[in-house]
Parts: sequence; structure tokens; C-alpha cells
Amino acid sequence: MALLRAEEETRVREWFAELERPVELLVAVGPEETPLPGAGDVDFGAEMMRVCEGLAELGEAVTCRREEEPDGFPRFPAVSIRPEGRDSGVRYDGLPWGYELGSLVGAIVEAGRAEPSLRPESLAALGELDRDLALDVFVTPT
Amino acid sequence: MLLAFRCGFASERVAATAIEANEFPQLAQEMQVWAVPRIVVDGVPQWDGAVPEPEFLRRILSAA
Repeated sequence: MALLRAEEETRVREWFAELERPVELLVAVGPEETPLPGAGDVDFGAEMMRVCEGLAELGEAVTCRREEEPDGFPRFPAVSIRPEGRDSGVRYDGLPWGYELGSLVGAIVEAGRAEPSLRPESLAALGELDRDLALDVFVTPT
Repeated sequence: MLLAFRCGFASERVAATAIEANEFPQLAQEMQVWAVPRIVVDGVPQWDGAVPEPEFLRRILSAA
């Protein structure tokens, strides 16, 4: 099954063609939690790899690799979105189904920007942080 | 979700993670995820739903 509809794929190719720096998708696979009923017999790790490899095919600047239970990943499968291969603390835990695939595409586009896209006042506020902050956003695929 | 990712890319202090609630039901239950997006800062549930960037920044920084 295709990852994206034809018109979506064209748009994503255009976005990825404009990336200003390379973006690596590090797919982490390992023991998986039992999901809610209804997930069927999905191999989430294999499906995550299919999704990320599919996205990497849409832009020369996007690459994908897989690691088994790497350090720093509390849940599997997960994908770390890495500008220039550097871990910047941005991760997607679980499979980005449906609408959430757009979040992963958006993360790749953001990672590929040479400059942050936040407002100057937001950047200034973040610049004043004097300790680490863990921001988790729970999502569903609908 | 993108705002959280933007914060993560913009600051080395911020780790931003999207978590698919259906795949990690135990954690979702611990974080009392009844609606999405559910925003959690440093392991403490904060609010549900999308908010504009200035309000997002205000909320996460005041929770920190």
C-alpha cells in the first residue's frame, strides 16, 4: 500500500527538495508494549521502518537507518529526527499512522531548516531556560 | 505537535517527544490521556488541545 496519495507525495517531494540540511531518521526497534485491542497483528517495528524508508525515498536529503534497542529510547518502535545526524531530542514514539504521518513529515521539514521557525520572542524565552525540559505530546492516529 | 518539535529543534534544553497513545496504553493511562493532544511537561500532565505559539511557550515555561 502506498504511503501517500499521489498529490500528497508530490507536495512532500517539493518540501523535501527545499531542505537546507540533511535529516536522518533513526528508527529504534525493540520489545513492544501490547497495544490497545484493534491493532491486530501489526508488526509495528517493521511498519515504522517501511514508513521511514518510504519518506526517505522522497528526498535526497532524507536518510533512514535502523538500530536494535539503542540507548536513550524508552519505548519501541520510535524514530529520532536528526538534523545533520545530530540527536536534538526530537522523537516520535509509536507508529505515525494516518493524520500523524503529517506530524512526522512536518518534523523532517523543521529539522531541515537552517534557522528555527519559532517567533523571535519564543526563541528568546527558550534561550532563558536554565534547565532541561521534557515535553511529551500524546497523540492518536485519527 | 509541530510547536513542540520546533521547540525541541530550537533549544538543546528541550526534548520533544510525540507519543502514540494507543500503542502505549499503560503510559497513556498514567498520564490520564482522555483527549489529544495531551501535553505533559517533565512527566506532569498539563493540558489538552492546541494553543497558539505564545500561549504554548508561556504554559510550558511556567510548568518548568
